[in-house]
Amino acid sequence: MKKRIVVLLVILCTVSLSVFAGGQAEADKGYDLYIYNSKGENAAQFADMAKAYEAETGVRVKTFSIGSGQDHMETLRAEMNSSNKPSIFSIQGVKELIEWYQGGFVVDFNKVTDAKFKSFSDAIAPSLRLTNDGSNSFGVPYNVEGYGYIVDTQMVADLFGTGKVEAFIADTKAATYAEWETLVKALDAYIKNNKAATVKLNGNSYTLAANKTGLAKNLNGVFAVMGAEKWTYGDHFINVALNAAFGDPNAAANSTDADVEKLRGALTAYAKALDLKTSYLAGLNGPAKRGQDFVSSANFGYDQAVQIFADSKAIFFKQGNWAYGNIANVNEKQAERLEFLPVKMPFQAADVILAGMTVDKLNTSIPVFVPNYYAINSMVPAAEQKLAMDFLVWLNTSETGKKFVVEDFNFIPYNADPATTTLPNSLGNSILDYITSGNIIAAPYHGAPATWSGDVVGLRLMEQYLTKATWTTQDYKEIVDYAIQTWQNLN
Amino acid sequence: MDIYKKWFWILLAPAILLFFLVIIFPFIVGLLNSFLAWRGTYYFDPETGIRAQSMFSSFIGFENYTNAFKDERFIRALVYTIQYTFVAVVVVNIVGLGLALLVTKAQKGASLFRTVFFLPNMLGGLALGFIWQFIFQIVFTNLLFSPDGLLHIPFLRYMTQDSTKALFALVILNAWQFGGYMMIIYIAGLNNISRDYYEAASIDGATPIRTFRSITVPMLMPSFTVVFFLTLSNSFKLLDQNIALTDGEFNTRLLAMQILRTVKDTAPPDYGKAQAQAVIFFLLVASITLTQVYVTKKRELEL
Repeated sequence: MKKRIVVLLVILCTVSLSVFAGGQAEADKGYDLYIYNSKGENAAQFADMAKAYEAETGVRVKTFSIGSGQDHMETLRAEMNSSNKPSIFSIQGVKELIEWYQGGFVVDFNKVTDAKFKSFSDAIAPSLRLTNDGSNSFGVPYNVEGYGYIVDTQMVADLFGTGKVEAFIADTKAATYAEWETLVKALDAYIKNNKAATVKLNGNSYTLAANKTGLAKNLNGVFAVMGAEKWTYGDHFINVALNAAFGDPNAAANSTDADVEKLRGALTAYAKALDLKTSYLAGLNGPAKRGQDFVSSANFGYDQAVQIFADSKAIFFKQGNWAYGNIANVNEKQAERLEFLPVKMPFQAADVILAGMTVDKLNTSIPVFVPNYYAINSMVPAAEQKLAMDFLVWLNTSETGKKFVVEDFNFIPYNADPATTTLPNSLGNSILDYITSGNIIAAPYHGAPATWSGDVVGLRLMEQYLTKATWTTQDYKEIVDYAIQTWQNLN
Repeated sequence: MDIYKKWFWILLAPAILLFFLVIIFPFIVGLLNSFLAWRGTYYFDPETGIRAQSMFSSFIGFENYTNAFKDERFIRALVYTIQYTFVAVVVVNIVGLGLALLVTKAQKGASLFRTVFFLPNMLGGLALGFIWQFIFQIVFTNLLFSPDGLLHIPFLRYMTQDSTKALFALVILNAWQFGGYMMIIYIAGLNNISRDYYEAASIDGATPIRTFRSITVPMLMPSFTVVFFLTLSNSFKLLDQNIALTDGEFNTRLLAMQILRTVKDTAPPDYGKAQAQAVIFFLLVASITLTQVYVTKKRELEL
């Protein structure tokens, strides 16, 4: 009896092992090039693009797009463990690069011998490269994105007069934090108590209309804020402050405890700016306050905040150009009238420790960065890597490829010449304006420890501070202490 | 008899094969991985700082285990899970047994009630979590228990925004979901108790409470064994509802979710540490449920 069991177990083990080890034979995979796309929003357009490439070149392309909002890393890892690995996969910044770098999955473009691809990859602007030591380069940017306070130009016209729109936008871009704060408070008094004040921005005066007309009648607060989405005030809002110390993600990634300690001033400015922003909230049904309702996803989630802004209940909405589609879904006309304003914070000259950076530059710029890169998998055969290179060159330099990027994906191409490019959406064009004028800052938060900005600091703010009606100087200090200490602990 | 002997192993083989492929084999691989610096798609070599050339150079002994216990979030999730399990087992059992007693006593529509109480169990955990998120955030917070609602009970408002309240929110959700299932098991147990005992007791003049304590409970021991086992292990392993209801915010991560999120908390993803946590988790659940089955089994009456 025992013997039989042993025999059976041996058979079982061999069978199971052979099942696991099987399927190694090199048969036709059914594709020549396999692209893994982690941006679910453009899945259908991405597949169309692959078909167009196939029609043009005869290369059989398999695309896989993850569902929108799904965790792309789990699926990508499963694909990387399978025998049919993607030839091109996506990496969202240096945070994700570590894994693929350590695992040896990425091709360093500096070591590529293919002349056409070499000259293409050399042309990627150094500030847009995916690198962990400043010299290597592992990715071709998907696109560039930017964020700031979105404002509806029609709302500005209704508040300050039709003729004032351009001047107001330009002067608000240039305004100091003190002027911005005065503006916010004047707008709040106007909305709640009908007090039409005159505010000074960049030396010029702007007077609010005596009576609320047009869109201004819908207002119930100054800001639309996603209280339940911790990445908006964790990742993105805090990133503006990190620019005072770090010029790029790698500088943040290589920071020492002492470097992090020096963030104290900039982070205090961040806490104050966040306090201002969350003190004058618009809500779905009337003005809102910080409190437990503010962090509930049923009242202040992504969709709700978009709704508040698109219904013209708020004047400013801190979001990126990726929110264009969401806004257009609610209010198509408004989506055509949007502009970005910089996120301003009360920095002191001493807070800005990055060489070449100034308080003025921080308060007049918006962060523009590459959210996602195409990387070439070094684990696939050389011939497939070559096809991957040809494809990336085609996508970013051929007329058909560029058309897909701009018109179908709704991207801002990383290699666009801002002077000659016009994009099909207002927010994209607003970002191009900032790029043209050079008023852009980076995304060093990508280099902060993995969970720090969103899941640690953002979560703490959501749980303990956004639920609290008033913030004291002690609260600012505690927020800053917590942010600095957790960064040092995670390092 | 002979025919059974002949076919026994052959008929059993498919089940054993599957058991090996999907349970035993991954379990052994997982156990091995908990001693390695596993990163999901490669084994890390702490010496060179890149992919290990062989599995041996990735061997780090018990480091994953010590790291797990050093992780504040893991300890917090462990304590929270034990607290949750304690409350959930008590509540789900009371609800299940209560419903069973009601339904078996019902004169009319017993099968309708049985079906209705069992229905929530047909829904998936994620769907349930989102349904209850809506109930807690909108119905409880803004309608029923708000200052101008039906009854002003501050404890029942914003239940997903505080770790203690969220624990009870999860218990409510699970009592609703599993109550009906446990009810079915209890009904089967109750129906197995011979009427004769109750008749004898009533002739002796026993009160309903006395009857319940001295007849129903001891005769129901086999059902208790099963229901305790199910509720204990279900509560420990709860994941979907936890994710859908609070997503671990406000310190509400249960152990299963903590293990799942460990790879998101770390970059590169520390699958080795997550695996070590899973092994600890397994040992914990196995030892607690086996003890429970042993204890309750001993109290079952042999008839």
